Amino acid sequence: MSLVSGPGRAGMADTPVELQLFVDKHVRYIQSLDTRKDELEYWLTEHLRLNGLYWGITALHLLGQPDALPRQGIIDFLLSCLHGNGGFGAAPGHDAHMLYTVSAVQILATLDAFDEFEERIKGGRKRIGQYIADLQDRETGTFAGDEWGERDTRFLYGALNALSLMGLLHLVDVEKAVEHVHSCANFDGGYGTRPGSESHAGQVFTCVGALTIAGRLDLVDQAKLGAWLSERQLKNGGLNGRPEKKEDVCYSWWVMSSLAMLNKLHWIDGEKLTAFILQCQDPEGGGLADRPGDMVDVFHTVFGIAGLSLLKYPGLQEVDPVYCMPRAVTKRCLGK
Amino acid sequence: MASHGVARVSGPNASVRSEELRQKELKQIAAYKDLVDLVNTKETQYTVEVLGLTTKLLNENPEYYTIWNHRRRILLTLLPTGLVQDSPPPKPDPAALDIVNGDLQLTFALLRKFPKCYWIWNHRNWILEKGQSIFDSASALTLWLGELQLVGKMLHSDSRNFHAWSYRRFVVARLELIRTRTPTQQSLTESEFEYTTKMIKSNLSNFSAWHNRSQLIPRLLEERVADSAARRKVLNDELALICTAINTDPFDQSIWFYHQYLMSTLSPQCAPQKMIVRDLSNLDRQKYYAHEMEYIREILDDETECKWIYEALLCCASCYLEVDGGTEAFTTLDMREWLRELKRLDPLRKGRWEDLGRRLDI
Repeated sequence: MSLVSGPGRAGMADTPVELQLFVDKHVRYIQSLDTRKDELEYWLTEHLRLNGLYWGITALHLLGQPDALPRQGIIDFLLSCLHGNGGFGAAPGHDAHMLYTVSAVQILATLDAFDEFEERIKGGRKRIGQYIADLQDRETGTFAGDEWGERDTRFLYGALNALSLMGLLHLVDVEKAVEHVHSCANFDGGYGTRPGSESHAGQVFTCVGALTIAGRLDLVDQAKLGAWLSERQLKNGGLNGRPEKKEDVCYSWWVMSSLAMLNKLHWIDGEKLTAFILQCQDPEGGGLADRPGDMVDVFHTVFGIAGLSLLKYPGLQEVDPVYCMPRAVTKRCLGK
Repeated sequence: MASHGVARVSGPNASVRSEELRQKELKQIAAYKDLVDLVNTKETQYTVEVLGLTTKLLNENPEYYTIWNHRRRILLTLLPTGLVQDSPPPKPDPAALDIVNGDLQLTFALLRKFPKCYWIWNHRNWILEKGQSIFDSASALTLWLGELQLVGKMLHSDSRNFHAWSYRRFVVARLELIRTRTPTQQSLTESEFEYTTKMIKSNLSNFSAWHNRSQLIPRLLEERVADSAARRKVLNDELALICTAINTDPFDQSIWFYHQYLMSTLSPQCAPQKMIVRDLSNLDRQKYYAHEMEYIREILDDETECKWIYEALLCCASCYLEVDGGTEAFTTLDMREWLRELKRLDPLRKGRWEDLGRRLDI
């Protein structure tokens, strides 16, 4: 087993093996993802390609390796997923949907490529903004994922995330969106997919994120929600997404980012969580899994690394808890 | 790309497939890609034949959302134009009925295998909405009643599936809407409330059921046109139910969250539409808080190592103090002791307990 310490992590030589982050392995793992075309799984997950690219790029940036994937290739791929209506599909030939459109905007922001995008697609940014804005139900404030109408607080958050990064929030009715999020609040302080739905840590992230972007955290029952979120931590240090469920690395992100937005990160045990996330690494092939010993994937890899960044793991770039992107990027886009 | 709970194979041969397996996988890939290409080249052909091809592809990969969209475009051409809901057709069209039933069967079979796939649930919603607009009310009612049974089965195999719970609320709302046009009883609130009781009794840890119960209670009271006495009875019954649950397993957090919910409805700050009893005096409140604290303290006699007990005591105590500063039910010393126990038993959340101590000023 190689114990290579990552770049920018001076002084880590003394870190015990179980507390090491295998930076180089993770970088190589992410770089290898697009070369696995002889695996059926690669083709069966084409509907996640653009999300996967966002997860991979974000992980690489947080690991301090922003150039590990070819910038031009990424931008060309993004453009091949763009539809005339301003929405992006998961891959060329896939229909436009909010989920991929948001990933595309996040990638453009991270690569600082909005100007380049605009040069290649005149009025492109505005068109993306309009695609997103047209998915808002102006009556209820909520957002659909696409023309087929599925509604979920994930899409509402995605819309506010992407629009704010492009400085186009004024295209939608933010106040109505806020009202909708507020109507999804439960007695435990948490939020679900729609009004009446059970609280779920992933949905808490989207709702608290949306309210943070809208500047309306005052609507959150912060003490109750903070308590509910802190109870997601289990004895083994990992976090679950709902009461009495199993721990999973992706909740390191959904739960912790929400706690960070509420300024309550200290309500859980960071050291134990760090140790849990690190145990989910594949020390040989790189990447992180949902739980120790499971198959890794790029989704758990980025959310594990982003979680470690919130936990101030040495050598990692700072992550923005609202956007799951490098803080330096959101500062540049939002001017704050 | 986002796998859950799949064990990693490790060791020197982990990443090396035998040549035979590799060839087999390459053949699978070729067959899959051929099917994808075939469907995509026929993207603009809205025929029964292409519908069959999408069925085949979705059976192999139900996450392929574009194919669901493609399928819907085909269905929209094959189905008769939807009628407005106010004037349902006199008789269902048998061909349309077949199409709708076909998609219900397809999504049912897929949901059994992939119960957490958003796209399948989404398509089932869509086809039912379509069915509703082209069927007469009697067929639509049968359709939605079938859905209630189906979701019951789904929740029987996984009682926490939040897609299924969400879908259940949606189905109930649909059924209630249809029943407004018939002379039968309209609301399903009572039977849904019973359903949560049944689910809770078979597994106390089912937070999804407790959650749904909290959603149903305000409607239940509204529909019963409950007066003050009836409302007090509901509150007392719920407190008795949760008391039994706490006694059975004081370490289960679902139960304590529901207890917190009941306590929050007592507060003067609770929104009126969410209150169970609307005419509580501060004296009533004190009695409720004191009673809760009394029986929770009794559990403490047998169970000193359960942090939830101390948390609940502190919660009740701080509620009590909001309505009466000079209580004799407990002392600041008691509160300090409970907080100390919390810190001892629950070091993971030490920061939270320190904040709580500061907030309560103890």
